[in-house]
Amino acid sequence: MSTLLALARIRAARQGRAEPLRQVRHYHLVDEPLVLVTAAMAGEAAAPLACMVGTDRHRPVLLTVSQPRNRDQQQAFYAQLAAVVLPYIRRRENALQQLPTHTGKAARQRCADAPQLIVANRATVEHLRLVGRSLRFQGSREPGTTQAPVALLGRWLTFFTEQADYPGSCLLLPMTRQLAAHWASGQSALEDESLAALLAWIEPPSGLSGAEAALRTENPVEFPPAGPATDPTFDLVELEPRMRAHRHALAAGDHTSANRSAAKLERALDAQLRPTWNQLWSALALLRAIPPAARCARRWDDDRDQFTRHSLHLMHGGPPQPVHDHPVEAARRLAALERASHMFEDEQALDDPFVLAERRAAGAAFAGIVISREPDRQARSPKGRRVLRPRFTVRTDDPPPLTRDQDLLNPHRPRATARIHQITHEQSGTHLIIMEITSGMGTPSRPAADAVPELGERVCYTASPSQWAQPEFPSRDQTPWTHSHPVPPAPARDLDPHDADPA
Amino acid sequence: MGQLRQALRTAMVERDAARASGLRRELRHAETLWQDKAAALGQGEGAVLTAAGPPAVDRAVTALLPTREQVHQVLSLLEVAAAPKLITAVHGAFFPGELPASRLASMRRDEERSYRSAPNARPYYVCPALTADRLAPARALLTVSTWPLERRIVGAHSPRVDFLTATTKIATAIEWFDRRGPHWLADARARADRLLRSFAVSIPGALAPPELSGHAPPLDPRQVAEAAEAELAVHVAVDRAEREQAAAWARQRLPETERLFGTRLQMIRNDASSH
Amino acid sequence: MNPTVNSTTAARLDALRGGQPPVNHTARTLVGLSANPGCSRRALLDACGADKGKVARQAGYPWPFGQSPFALSRGNAFERQVKEHGGARLLALLRESLGLPIEQVAYIPLESVGDNANRELRYRRTRQVLAHAARGGSSPGILYDHPMLRLAVGGQLVYLEPDVIAFKIGDKFHVVEIKSFPVIDRQADGTQVAAATRQAAVYVIALRELFADAGLDPDLVAASIFLVTPKNFGNTPIATLIDARKQIAMMTTQLARMDRIETLVKLLPAQVSFDLAVDAAGVARRPQAQLAGDLRQVPARYRPECLDHCELAGLCRAEARQDDSLDVYGPGVADVLGGIGTAQTALALAEGQRIPSADQTDVARALRHAERLRTELAAGAELAGGAA
Repeated sequence: MSTLLALARIRAARQGRAEPLRQVRHYHLVDEPLVLVTAAMAGEAAAPLACMVGTDRHRPVLLTVSQPRNRDQQQAFYAQLAAVVLPYIRRRENALQQLPTHTGKAARQRCADAPQLIVANRATVEHLRLVGRSLRFQGSREPGTTQAPVALLGRWLTFFTEQADYPGSCLLLPMTRQLAAHWASGQSALEDESLAALLAWIEPPSGLSGAEAALRTENPVEFPPAGPATDPTFDLVELEPRMRAHRHALAAGDHTSANRSAAKLERALDAQLRPTWNQLWSALALLRAIPPAARCARRWDDDRDQFTRHSLHLMHGGPPQPVHDHPVEAARRLAALERASHMFEDEQALDDPFVLAERRAAGAAFAGIVISREPDRQARSPKGRRVLRPRFTVRTDDPPPLTRDQDLLNPHRPRATARIHQITHEQSGTHLIIMEITSGMGTPSRPAADAVPELGERVCYTASPSQWAQPEFPSRDQTPWTHSHPVPPAPARDLDPHDADPA
Repeated sequence: MGQLRQALRTAMVERDAARASGLRRELRHAETLWQDKAAALGQGEGAVLTAAGPPAVDRAVTALLPTREQVHQVLSLLEVAAAPKLITAVHGAFFPGELPASRLASMRRDEERSYRSAPNARPYYVCPALTADRLAPARALLTVSTWPLERRIVGAHSPRVDFLTATTKIATAIEWFDRRGPHWLADARARADRLLRSFAVSIPGALAPPELSGHAPPLDPRQVAEAAEAELAVHVAVDRAEREQAAAWARQRLPETERLFGTRLQMIRNDASSH
Repeated sequence: MNPTVNSTTAARLDALRGGQPPVNHTARTLVGLSANPGCSRRALLDACGADKGKVARQAGYPWPFGQSPFALSRGNAFERQVKEHGGARLLALLRESLGLPIEQVAYIPLESVGDNANRELRYRRTRQVLAHAARGGSSPGILYDHPMLRLAVGGQLVYLEPDVIAFKIGDKFHVVEIKSFPVIDRQADGTQVAAATRQAAVYVIALRELFADAGLDPDLVAASIFLVTPKNFGNTPIATLIDARKQIAMMTTQLARMDRIETLVKLLPAQVSFDLAVDAAGVARRPQAQLAGDLRQVPARYRPECLDHCELAGLCRAEARQDDSLDVYGPGVADVLGGIGTAQTALALAEGQRIPSADQTDVARALRHAERLRTELAAGAELAGGAA
């Protein structure tokens, strides 16, 4: 956390209202996201209780289970969920764009749009991860058979939850993270995990301070939790008696009574999920009101590539995601995560003065005034050629930057990168930084016009995102034995069907 | 009623125990009233009445045998002390009708009362198993009075021995039913299979190794029985010695009632232990 | 660990509760002590056995804690399944993962002594049986179901009724903790594993005290515990051996701290009391403000994590807010503004309206810088920074 962020939280508490942290929105929002609110059975690994899902605020689909421990009912529930989620995905799989040959890349296809799932919080993402894990191997033992919708749902949910690990990815967005990224509340990060509390800080009802409004949301009777965990008193008072009545009626063969208790159960669950459903749409509206960042589109391109890739993988009959990654795969994933994280941070700083300011507060960027320049400075390259290496000096009030040996970029002159050559401390507490342009400066005979900032110009330098190249990894058959599994994991064996006791 | 529920939850959230229990009472009352009203209106009358009780269909069958007879039937099949849950499971697999575990709860006390009021008036009594160290009633284990004392006493090794014995009995019963016995009731074969499998997973060699496909190995009752007997042979001598020693002591010192229903006294046998 | 606390301290602790009976400690509440070791308020209320939930409610800050009936029944059902038939499933697990010899199957239930469930009696019986086994009783490898253990905590004897089984292999005793949270693909929720391990560590400590009490070597109790949990999404139990040395050391320190509660008590003003007595109409005899005021006499150390595990959290948070403490914003803010106590100070330093103390120089510089950045942003002159 930067001092700036700490200060923002304090200010938010002072003014009784959340403090905006961003000038632009750094997450792409599609026109028609699929919103999901889930409730799960307490005490079970991933037993569904209910789900409210849909793309229309006014017409949510409510799915419920009256006997969550019953495997058949779970299966029926997921089949219904698949019937909502899969067509939503399929519509986007079918619209393809042709990408022309690009530097080093062959011509390829990319889906014109990608699905976007919106959920309340991180806990829901983790729940969907488990659901994906519990479903994706279903029926995968008989090769050649068509994928059952439920297994397919499992594979997609696994895909979405894996993508959600990548900073900046917008395929599955937990709303509390989104809001907390764009606003500082006057409470702790732990309390920010509550969607209702966070919204209370961002838009407190009139007459209430953010703290007061957030306090009100802690009453689970008035503000049902956003899931997947339900309130224990709800379980005890509303759910358990109705489930019992339903069970007894079924056992007695009394279908009228069973239907009635099922309907009551459904109403109770509807009342639990609907507030969160509405909050999610309000939160979406809040986010949409912020103009999108310029580099959002590039990241969404990445998201669409990932989506296209997985879609093709499924189409070609590829296997479900394994339980444990192959070591090379794991290393690749780790590198990709790291790269996504750096890229996202660097890109945000270029798009958003708020982020840039945070970086300056943390010593990851600096701003100042150009006090001298040598635009024609030349040096010898390692091969002995004469090259243009302009230098200039900046005086800054910011703390001495920690970003040595890194390509830096001035958001206002994005074509040239520069590196810090030298930092000297001045008596007044300011610093003099000698910068050297390392790319985009042109040649001695044809220097680029706008590479070197002017005398007296105010400049700002932050890390350049383009330096995060994708590292190369050996292919599977070239992996040294030290890094390969002694036995390739067979996912099917990990899923013992007799783990599952019929309820 | 919805408001009552709401209020009850609020009281719970505010940790107001007194208000919560008052509201709970009110809620129960309101539910009864509502049900009465529904019944009076002729809606779902049957539902309200049957919801709490066992399924109506089975009542006739169940009524044929008193609970104690049902329990006796099961214990005679198992020939070892058994807990209510096991008795219910075995009953569900091999016998018609319902035997909910809840009905077994008061049984021990009823049987003892009946015995004390008119000793040996019945051909058998369902009694508790006795612990080898104190000859006190063992928690939740039922036996039959006509069994030898050694079988009714449980020592430190007896839970395993009885478990393995029960396994062989269940496996044998399945085989017998399969071969020439009465036809299986609906679902009963599956229930019996599930029961035996849940036992077999804890016995070395009782199940074939898992198949590569990940499917559960097929269940062979003969193999299960043989595996159980093989392990049984390891424990049977030490277990028998424990039981016999305790039984001999009981025969010398205890009156018949206590030999059947256990002693409540804090008596500690000299070696005081079961190891 | 010296179980005896100065008798005046003990009397004072008793008096603090007023007429209320002391709350029973469980392994869970003892583990709770380690969650925020720096908090004197919690330490004192726990030491005197006050019902923190009731105290918080009567002071005007009820804090909802509860477990779903579904979670409870699932937990019980799983435990029953692992332990039924003389621990048949558990034996299979131990044979598989520890190579427990097939002869070793003895199972001794200790949940009652005859029909008598008196705790001290059960403790003595547990001690007798375990000591006998430790001295080389005839058949090693025994499951002990529901032993009753005892531990001195802050001068009180606390009985611990673990739903665990201690078993003996070779000459070592182990503690088994049965939990119903799933282990999926060999991974479980870290917080839950940590809590379970700490709980088991408390049992290890109590078991070691029992052996010391019986004149035996406490090291007969292994420092690694067996965690039995459902595998993946079903009910099949699996066992994981967990090295609990760190947690044992931590809990030992924590429990020893409870014995130094005397110091805390001595600092306490004489009139302080957490008496919750009510009159005939059920109305608290002491006004809410008085109880809240007395609570404030004992310093708390509020952290947002308290909201997850302490019933006083609502009260302490309100107090921290009222005191303008930076603790309400969480560790991130507190770390970055180290050396500053209140939001007021932070803002004053940021705005340059206050001269920083020597140890605040660095933070103050960062704050002033941040404030300047903020002003720039507000002015929309995002690039105008640097040399003024």
